Amino acid sequence: MPYFKTSTEWFDQSSLLLKARPTTTRITSKYTVLKPSASKIKKRQKYLEKKAARPAKAEEAPRTSSPPPAAPAQDPEEPTATFTLKTFDPDSGTCLQYETAKAAEVGRLIGSLGRLGRHMAALPEVAEDLSAGADVAATGTSTPKVEEDAKMGGVPAEQKTGGGKKKKKGKK
Amino acid sequence: MPEHLSNDEFFTKLGNLFEHNRTKGHGTVYLTQKRMTFDTSLVPPSPTKVADDPLWDTHPEDPVPILIRATNNKSDKRPGTDRKDVDKIKFSTVVQSDRLDAFFVRYAEACKAGMSGLKKRDKKKGKKDKKKKRKA
Repeated sequence: MPYFKTSTEWFDQSSLLLKARPTTTRITSKYTVLKPSASKIKKRQKYLEKKAARPAKAEEAPRTSSPPPAAPAQDPEEPTATFTLKTFDPDSGTCLQYETAKAAEVGRLIGSLGRLGRHMAALPEVAEDLSAGADVAATGTSTPKVEEDAKMGGVPAEQKTGGGKKKKKGKK
Repeated sequence: MPEHLSNDEFFTKLGNLFEHNRTKGHGTVYLTQKRMTFDTSLVPPSPTKVADDPLWDTHPEDPVPILIRATNNKSDKRPGTDRKDVDKIKFSTVVQSDRLDAFFVRYAEACKAGMSGLKKRDKKKGKKDKKKKRKA
């Protein structure tokens, strides 16, 4: 159940999964706002005190450290909001996740949901979608089962999906 | 499960769901999308045929509609906290494949507006950083 570091990585892997298992795969996006627990508030207060004690070093810290837990909150009781994307295929048990806390990313992420939606609907990919072709072939690390299936199938697939499979085979 | 809503109804209810979350101050909104497999033209072929072509579903003859579901999290009253009983709100819509792009444009708008709790881009900070870099 990996969390990907970048949304493009998540998108690439998800589109591969959707190509292989378009009927069973589902994408859940979860927007959650949590009030921090008492211990979390204490932790944040401690962190702020520490930061106040060492102002020089603290200035570097929030930028370089991992973004999700850092949350350089002004108010330690401020609720945390996250947006999580999860692609799950119950057949193979594959689960791909990406999490963000940035509002700026939402638009782009929903855009990629739309593009993945085209896979689900079995529509051809959009022409302007440049990232798909090259990247997908390069990062083709989805479940090996998929490739086995592709070989076992051995049926002259229709042109829509044929392209994807040929790429995978060519890579091997 | 009630009937699927039309896309327009779905967006108004989605707005309400986000608004509900905002007034509550905490909580979760779940959105799920998957291929519509029930009650459509997409029928699995006979078992023998499936064995011949295990990837039958990767190349359907017609585009398939997509099912979008939205729910909140149900919560129970708990003593000692300010939690209240919240019933589960649950609704769904079906997007026909030809209206997919238009739907997702609206969907993105609705989500951007609804997910107000996420961190905004800090413009002031960025400017300061740039100035510092230039000086250095």
